Amino acid sequence: MQKKKSKYLWILSAVTVVFVLFIWWLVTDGLGIFTSNTLPSPIKIVQAFIKKLTDPNPDGATLGAHLLSSLKIVLSGYLLGVVIGIPMGIVMAWYEKADLMIRPVFDMIRTVPGIAWVPVMVVFCGIGFTSKAIVIFIGAVVANVINAYSGIKQTKQVHLWVGATFGASNWQLLTKIALPSAFPMIINGLKLSLGGAWTTIVAAELLASNRGIGYMIQQARGILRPDIIIVGMFVIGIVGSLLMLPISLLEKKVMKGGKW
Amino acid sequence: MQTKTPAQERRDKIVFGTLAVFLFLVIWYLVTKLTAFGEIFPDPVTVLANIGDKFVNPLGKVTLAGHILVSIRRVMAAFVVAAAGGIVLGVTMGWYPVVEAIFKPIIEFLRPIPPIAWIPISILWYGFSEMSKYFLIFLASFFVITISVYSGVKSVDPMLIRAARMLGAKDNQLFTTIIIPSVVPYIFSGLQVALGNSWASIVAAEMVQSNMGVGWIIITGQQSSNMVQIVTGIVCIAVVGMLLVMIMRGLENKLCAWNKQGR
Repeated sequence: MQKKKSKYLWILSAVTVVFVLFIWWLVTDGLGIFTSNTLPSPIKIVQAFIKKLTDPNPDGATLGAHLLSSLKIVLSGYLLGVVIGIPMGIVMAWYEKADLMIRPVFDMIRTVPGIAWVPVMVVFCGIGFTSKAIVIFIGAVVANVINAYSGIKQTKQVHLWVGATFGASNWQLLTKIALPSAFPMIINGLKLSLGGAWTTIVAAELLASNRGIGYMIQQARGILRPDIIIVGMFVIGIVGSLLMLPISLLEKKVMKGGKW
Repeated sequence: MQTKTPAQERRDKIVFGTLAVFLFLVIWYLVTKLTAFGEIFPDPVTVLANIGDKFVNPLGKVTLAGHILVSIRRVMAAFVVAAAGGIVLGVTMGWYPVVEAIFKPIIEFLRPIPPIAWIPISILWYGFSEMSKYFLIFLASFFVITISVYSGVKSVDPMLIRAARMLGAKDNQLFTTIIIPSVVPYIFSGLQVALGNSWASIVAAEMVQSNMGVGWIIITGQQSSNMVQIVTGIVCIAVVGMLLVMIMRGLENKLCAWNKQGR
């Protein structure tokens, strides 16, 4: 019974999407309630998208060039943050001595949204690549440290005791027991910080930039081109989802269905 | 291995936490005093003094407390509306397949767009008014809460529902005795994430365009290359953000005490 129903529901979903698009078209191009200076029609947005692929006007670069510029900053800051953050979190959790001291400091820094560091970095290094990459890096390091750390901390004491009883060395305890139990949390950290990095770069480019997808939508606002803004927003959303794919694949491959 | 009582553990946490913050401030102080870093970055004493000063003397139009209150008011007004709407939509989407089929594609389509990417269009539509901020915060919280509540309803143990049905529970009984209690933790995790999102978004929105609020403090600091003011703003953002999280967590512990004990 449930199965049969779901076939019709799929059709209902499709109808809704078509209906929303139709209403959107109706209030814009159809009846002209909203002019294209406030809300452009879906057709205009598709046109703007196609045009922006090759046309560097009005903001000085094509969509691809903007996107590439943003991705370059995000990936360099993010990867550096991951490479430094995860080992740091693991070390912090494994060697307990400094643990109680470092944790509160990281908890404190974590509450500052990445975007708030932008002015500091702009004053230090200007509005170029470096200042934004550093902002992304800070966000990524903090998130990865905290997640790797909590992951290791969640390791069941009993498992460690069993390992130690059977004569595992400290290194074996870490790599065979603690790391595998921490893995879901580490993956979680990778995902969270990537989402954060992508949001932060958009914000940073809104504020201080001369290239990038955030810069593109900010410029489009200045010259009343909502079609370009909306194209930019969709591209940001889609690219953000695509960036998560490699991590999800890694997760599936290593975690075998989420269970160890 | 010796085990500590919870009270001891909490005491340790507070003692070491305070010590860590203190140590952090000392290192910050020494670094700015002893290295060239101090020429471009203020030391903590200056920042704290500035914070104290700005609570009394106005910064721009209002005092520091005024800026913080403005930002909190913006977040809260939209957050409450988004929470109410998100919980209702999430529950109905989870419970009625028809509602799910209608709203899910739209939400899944809009959800990946980070709230910050809505800033330019919100300014274009609502201009300089408060409405542009409310609109943004609403978006920053609404989808997160809706999806969290929706997945909460979806993950209610079907066994419980069938058992209740078999024992003759009506739909509204099912709802109040099974669905609501099992969804409450999901509501709270949604609210928690949404509030963090909202706080980050309001800071960004105020940095892009505003004439008061915590984001305004740091962006005008940047424009006048006033590092003390920037750091003052960052400290305020961090402290208020932390307080919001703590209040939310406290609320959750109060309302979901049964859930914690059950685990």
